[in-house]
Amino acid sequence: MTNIGAMLKSLQDPMGVPFYPLVFQVLLVITFALHIIFVNLVVGGVFMSVYGYFKKGGHYRPLAKSFAKATTINFSLLIVLGVAPLLFMQVIYDPFWYTSNVLSAAWMVGVVFALMAAFSFVYVFYLKITKERKHIGVWGVAAFLLIILVGVTMHAVSYQALFPEQWVRWYVGGSTADFSGTILHAFQLPRFLHFMVASFAITGIFMMVYSWYFKDRDDMDRSYLVWVGKAGAKMAVVFTVLQMAVGVWWLLSVPANFQFYKNPVFIAAGILAVVLLLVLIEAQSNPQRYALPTAGLALISVLGMTSAREALRVLYAGRYDYSVYSYKLNLSYGSTVLFAVTFLMGIVIVGYMLTVVFKMGRSSKPIDLSSLKLRTWSVYLMIAWVLMMIGIGVAIAS
Amino acid sequence: MYPVWQVPVMGSALVIAFIASFHILPSHLATSAFWFNVYVEDKAYKEDRPELLEFIKKYVLVILIFSFIFGSLSGVGIWYAVTVSNPKGISALIHNYVWGWASEWVFFIIEILAIYIYYYTLGRVDDRTHLTIGLIYAIGSWISMVIITGIISFMLSPGKWLRTGGFFDGFFNPTYLPQLLMRTSFMFAIAGLYAIVVAGTLKNREVASFIVRRASVWGMAGAVLAALFFKLYLWSLPDTAKELYGMSVLVGTVPDIAVAAFIALFVWFIVVWIRPQLARLVPGVLAILILLAGIFSAESVRERIRKPYVIDHYMYSNQIIPNDMVAKGVQGEMGTIDREGILHYSYFVPEGLRTIDDADLLRSGRIIAQIECSACHTLESNGWLRPLPAMMEKAGLVTVDDTQAFIGFLDSFPFMPQFAGTAAEKRALAAYLVSIRPHPAGAPAGRATIGKIHR
Ligand code: HEC
Ligand code: HEM
Repeated sequence: MTNIGAMLKSLQDPMGVPFYPLVFQVLLVITFALHIIFVNLVVGGVFMSVYGYFKKGGHYRPLAKSFAKATTINFSLLIVLGVAPLLFMQVIYDPFWYTSNVLSAAWMVGVVFALMAAFSFVYVFYLKITKERKHIGVWGVAAFLLIILVGVTMHAVSYQALFPEQWVRWYVGGSTADFSGTILHAFQLPRFLHFMVASFAITGIFMMVYSWYFKDRDDMDRSYLVWVGKAGAKMAVVFTVLQMAVGVWWLLSVPANFQFYKNPVFIAAGILAVVLLLVLIEAQSNPQRYALPTAGLALISVLGMTSAREALRVLYAGRYDYSVYSYKLNLSYGSTVLFAVTFLMGIVIVGYMLTVVFKMGRSSKPIDLSSLKLRTWSVYLMIAWVLMMIGIGVAIAS
Repeated sequence: MYPVWQVPVMGSALVIAFIASFHILPSHLATSAFWFNVYVEDKAYKEDRPELLEFIKKYVLVILIFSFIFGSLSGVGIWYAVTVSNPKGISALIHNYVWGWASEWVFFIIEILAIYIYYYTLGRVDDRTHLTIGLIYAIGSWISMVIITGIISFMLSPGKWLRTGGFFDGFFNPTYLPQLLMRTSFMFAIAGLYAIVVAGTLKNREVASFIVRRASVWGMAGAVLAALFFKLYLWSLPDTAKELYGMSVLVGTVPDIAVAAFIALFVWFIVVWIRPQLARLVPGVLAILILLAGIFSAESVRERIRKPYVIDHYMYSNQIIPNDMVAKGVQGEMGTIDREGILHYSYFVPEGLRTIDDADLLRSGRIIAQIECSACHTLESNGWLRPLPAMMEKAGLVTVDDTQAFIGFLDSFPFMPQFAGTAAEKRALAAYLVSIRPHPAGAPAGRATIGKIHR
């Protein structure tokens, strides 16, 4: 064991990390939670749009259309929200991440092409369903299967990273060698299902929010919205129960000596999940009213679960005396401040844009939002950012 | 050392090159297009010409699909391809520039929200709000270029960073400003090029020729400025890179392709300026393909003149760090590897091959070639990237002794790294190289030569 610890240590980047590892770890957990929520929305959204398309009758067709459109946007967000954990992961868990990626390199590069195909199919499906074209189910089904394939790969690579004692064997297998990276080496079904089953719970809650958001639009069909809310709430509650069952299964398949059921982070996440389930049961009678609190609680529960997942990784890594907190430090205050400033600016601008969408979506007629104060501020802030960089550049050059 | 990903025949470097060159078109479109868009939209409102909005709608849909499916995913693709081909290289970049990338990520979020909102709110919010969203996108995507250029140019010319290790010392490096100015100017030319294609598909021909003429002026202005800044860029290159730029084995005719593409595009702008009706879909798309060839050549020159380093004077392309980097407390690896041997230094080597013995000489040699040479050479004779068998022939190396001596002086070529490893490893590599080299007529295959060293 000790020499695996030494291997991991020696694989760490010799330059160290530019700020306290805890900060990267927290950012990793938060951004991964956002990533996985959008993964859930895309998996569930593609499924619902295809399901609704084949169901035809009742309210299913308009629902399928709405989901087809929403999924194009959610897919973009899924990608961009995947970039952040990808970045932070490589800062503190580089030995695990890089090795695991190289071991399945062909898959990881293949994933990119699968994603391009899947995203294009989602677009084709959306453009065709809006135009009421026939025989388009194949696009949706293909997209769905590709997305699952991407999920399988993502899971395998995240999971095989946790077993450094196997790496050399996987790579060179004794005296022969496979350098092509065409094999996925590890898979844990309950863990994978934990991400997939959740998709339908999260998508159900999304439907509740949808139903609430459009309820004041005079050009929307009331009975349709009520139906969407009810269907969503029902879906959410059923799949949350299933999700808990899968969670217990996962818990039973982690190494027993971790005693993970005693882990405070895990217990907290479990309590949050139970509370979410209770609220969902309560919400069945009036999904629209409960939509926002439920969504908020779901977000917090997902954060809890992703924190528990990180706590689990800390335990796995700890088996080889690897701790992110002892990563060599090479503090870079300047660049840390750059990010902090940029991030704050981003919040303001994103806030402005979300206000615009929110108000626009709620109104059935064109509206005038030019008096929003944040409008000019958003532009000024970006100009100020550029000026700041010019200032730093001049200072460095002189 | 991390394990090495071996792509048969093609070589992992070409996997990166293909994905990266594909990424060029959608990403440049994403950063450039909105400046032209906002300009036209502003005109539409100010001069009360709502028919111009037809163009806007089409143009944005092209950007949305092309840049936000293929552009953003090929961007992720470059990252993955680099991760699996050169993990230690990307690790070095990330451990320096994580906050730079994280800041860029903030702008990615802004861009994505802005473009979707822009597309879906056209005609549903007031003009000023809509223009502001467009402007937010335009500035935001340009800023993402401001950031990524800092990191890309850092790899070529880290400048003061090598001494100080400072984030901004590396970011604002000697080639940063010329590159940023060049890319920014060229961005307008690219926006013009795309706009001409989209205009070619418009039904209202009057609007089309209006757009085409404006776009070609943007194109010409951007191109002229970019050419000027290119001169500045060449002048700012570090001396070693300048030397490599002059070496024809390394860069060959690649810069000429870039120049030819540039001239062709300039002519195209002039032609459509004089006769906007010629701006139809097919010639427009052709012009874009020429653009691709041009940018690809220019970027590949930048990659080539960085050799033998992935980060200039810090890390070799084969992920070995030759020298100490005092400011960050990094120890050079050369001494240790020469002492212990590369096969001991790397974890991912089959147990039996770590210690060189005659029986496994060629297999050990192959692993060494994989670790130290495959970043720039494929091992198969039908490989696409400077295949080693052909290189052996080119260097006129026939015997193991000569080859071993050659390996000892590898770094006398300005574009190759110094060999790292023990004398026995040098010999194993030499034996392997001789065994894969095409055999001179008459000689009965490599066995004879290998037989010699078994004695
Ligand atoms: C940083 C990239 C890089 C690495 C790493 C590298 N080379 Fe090269 N090598 C080159 C380039 C570029 C050329 C010139 C290509 C040409 O002549 O077409 C070259 C040429 C050669 C030649 C032909 C020299 C001649 O006389 O023309 C040989 C032999 C060779 N390399 C062997 C090796 C061996 C063995 C290794 C591993 C120990 C290695 N190279 C590692 C980039 C590299
Ligand atoms: C359809 C697309 C995608 C699906 C279905 C998907 C699914 C998943 C799943 C299920 C996991 C968790 C694996 C586990 O812990 O066992 C995961 C992790 C991850 N995903 Fe994705 N993903 C997708 C796209 C992306 C993209 C485009 C990126 C990068 C840009 C990305 C980056 C990541 C990262 C970095 C992790 C690991 C985080 C960690 O281990 O903490 N994903 N993904």
